[in-house]
Amino acid sequence: MDKGIYVGLDIGSISSEALLLSDERILSYSIIATGPNPHRASRECLKEALSKGGVSEESILRVVATGYGRISVPFKTREVTEITCHARGSHFLFPRTRTVIDIGGQDSKVITLDERGKVTDFVMNDKCAAGTGRFLEVMARALEVELSKMGERALKAKKGVSITSMCTVFAESEVISLIAEGLEVEEILRGLHESIARRIFRMARRLRVRGEITISGGVAKNEGIVEALKSLFGMEINIPNEPQIVGALGAALLAREMS
Amino acid sequence: MVDKGFRIKVLRKFVHLPYTYQFLLPILVFLHSKENPAYRIWVRFLLNTFREAYAHRKPVVWANSFLPSEIHYGLDVIPVLPEIISALVTYLGWSERPISKADTRISTDLCTFYRCALGLALENFLPRPDLLLSSSQLCDGANKFFSTMGQLYQCPHLLLDPPYSNHPRSHRYMEEQIEDLLKQASQILSLPFKKDRFSLVLNRSNQARQWIDKINQLRQSIPSPFPGSEGLSYLSGMNFYSVGSIWSIPFFSLLHQEIEKKVSSKKGYLPKEKYRLLWLHHVRPYYKNEIFNILSSKDAAVSFEEANYLYWPFHDSSQPWKSLAEKILSNVWAGPIERRMKAIDEMIRSYSIHGVIHFSHWGCRQSCGGAAIIGDYLKQKGIPYLTLPGDCADPNNYSPGQTRTRLEAFIEMME
Ligand SMILES: Nc1ncnc2c1ncn2[C@@H]1O[C@H](COP(=O)(O)OP(=O)(O)OP(=O)(O)O)[C@@H](O)[C@H]1O
Ligand code: SF4
Ligand SMILES: [Mg+2]
Repeated sequence: MDKGIYVGLDIGSISSEALLLSDERILSYSIIATGPNPHRASRECLKEALSKGGVSEESILRVVATGYGRISVPFKTREVTEITCHARGSHFLFPRTRTVIDIGGQDSKVITLDERGKVTDFVMNDKCAAGTGRFLEVMARALEVELSKMGERALKAKKGVSITSMCTVFAESEVISLIAEGLEVEEILRGLHESIARRIFRMARRLRVRGEITISGGVAKNEGIVEALKSLFGMEINIPNEPQIVGALGAALLAREMS
Repeated sequence: MVDKGFRIKVLRKFVHLPYTYQFLLPILVFLHSKENPAYRIWVRFLLNTFREAYAHRKPVVWANSFLPSEIHYGLDVIPVLPEIISALVTYLGWSERPISKADTRISTDLCTFYRCALGLALENFLPRPDLLLSSSQLCDGANKFFSTMGQLYQCPHLLLDPPYSNHPRSHRYMEEQIEDLLKQASQILSLPFKKDRFSLVLNRSNQARQWIDKINQLRQSIPSPFPGSEGLSYLSGMNFYSVGSIWSIPFFSLLHQEIEKKVSSKKGYLPKEKYRLLWLHHVRPYYKNEIFNILSSKDAAVSFEEANYLYWPFHDSSQPWKSLAEKILSNVWAGPIERRMKAIDEMIRSYSIHGVIHFSHWGCRQSCGGAAIIGDYLKQKGIPYLTLPGDCADPNNYSPGQTRTRLEAFIEMME
């Protein structure tokens, strides 16, 4: 018979993750697109993680749901915000983390934590999508570049062109006119990545950033953003092997700790 | 189907008819018969004020909320406070149309309370003013709004311009300004200038103040007897609008009675109270939103609001101009931020506060300007602090997901 397991579910605006944790280790995880129905996404990513881990639904002891779709998860034991979960997950992977930068599809957040992984403060972008993953997706489409290659290509340019608009709609037309002017795609990409990184950096400066920095969320897979952030902060940044599951990991850890 | 323009025309007609308010009064009082008696006075006060404003038997003066309300009752005019009308219109779910109407005339960076009021004025929904009175203290949106209104209605506009400092010289300067302004206002409105009337109004204001003070003391009880969401609606509304009027004493004394009952039965407004919060900034979103429900679901009570902080001393009714100058210059939201921080410190202590939420209303320099300094100060003292950005009047600027995440993460931080 299976031993009891703990589940963390992160239902984000773009991606949904499920992560299974036993008393000792991470058993399995899954990442799927959220799509229009967060309720269904939560079921599907859990099913996938269960089958990958070879565990049955009956062995689930507790489920903590996080992400903006946490309220739509039907079978949760508890809801916790992604702010607390990303802090907890990052602290587990890199215990000296005192600052977390989570850049997802629609939100970017900077979180400070203490030596136990507890949140001490946070800032979040306002309503608009500037400086988030969605913004990068729109730009990738406008420049006809693959999302997973855009960061790498940005780093190929020696210098970035300056992009003045940060509104997704204006930036898109600015980018299109820059191409028409004959500028290199790489230079434009570099300019875009640098301006997003600057925005995140400015946001982080509203907090007292100390100790190690860990980056999480899907945009952590973009080398262009990570490199630009490193140079702005003037220090190394921890990157998890799979940055998209940090929130789900934090949620599973919290599920395990609950009494 | 009836066309939209026609419906607006009919609605405008009804809004302008004094009988509408007379007719609505018994209905609303009946509908609110389960509410506390103080709330019913608020309803009566508003309907009565609107009836008188549209009947126009007395001069109608538009003024901003930061002008002491004693001025209107001392002059014996019908005060119309555009910000409060906007809050009511928002509460009724009608703010979107006037706000978008205003966007054709004024920058979308201006506070939506004023944009909403401007839209209502452009569509001729508001009672016609005989005079505009505004104070430059605190709110820079007010000056832009009132000067636009002066043009629109071709109506005189008098401005009170309080100095920044609380120096004795400022008091003398303010005193002269007030006397001057009131004399000019009386002349414009062809009203007799009666110092005695101001003394009477200040005496009334002093009595109301006594009750406000008692209410504030009762609200220090644990668990919190009175919800902050209501503290930021009709209670602060009466605080800004009614003090000095005949309505203020019954309102505050009845509310005191109501809260006293709750305190003596040890009943909090929440079934369970784990956290006590302080709300900074004098307003909250007035359209349908989840902010206070989210907090309640986490056993977090908004125990007190800066909006109801009693900053002004008792008036000396024999010296009305001096007293009014004192009230204006002791306003903790104006002048050096250290004074506001001292008041916040006092509220944190008296109300046994665990965490502070600063609502930053878009377009409001008064609320956004100081938020970071206050935040740093409180965080240094180890008090959990959240800046909650948002808009009080435009529901299109409300992002439910982000607001929920911010509030819940803040509570998780305190756990
Ligand atoms: N392989 C990749 N390379 C580069 N960027 C990627 C890659 N995969 C995802 N992204 C970026 O990550 C973003 C999604 O991040 P994530 O999955 O953390 O979002 P989310 O949690 O659903 O959103 P939110 O937390 O804002 O609700 C995408 O918009 C995209 O920009
Ligand atoms: S919210 Fe700010 S800008 Fe708007 S009326 Fe109040 S003080 Fe003025
Ligand atoms: Mg996310």
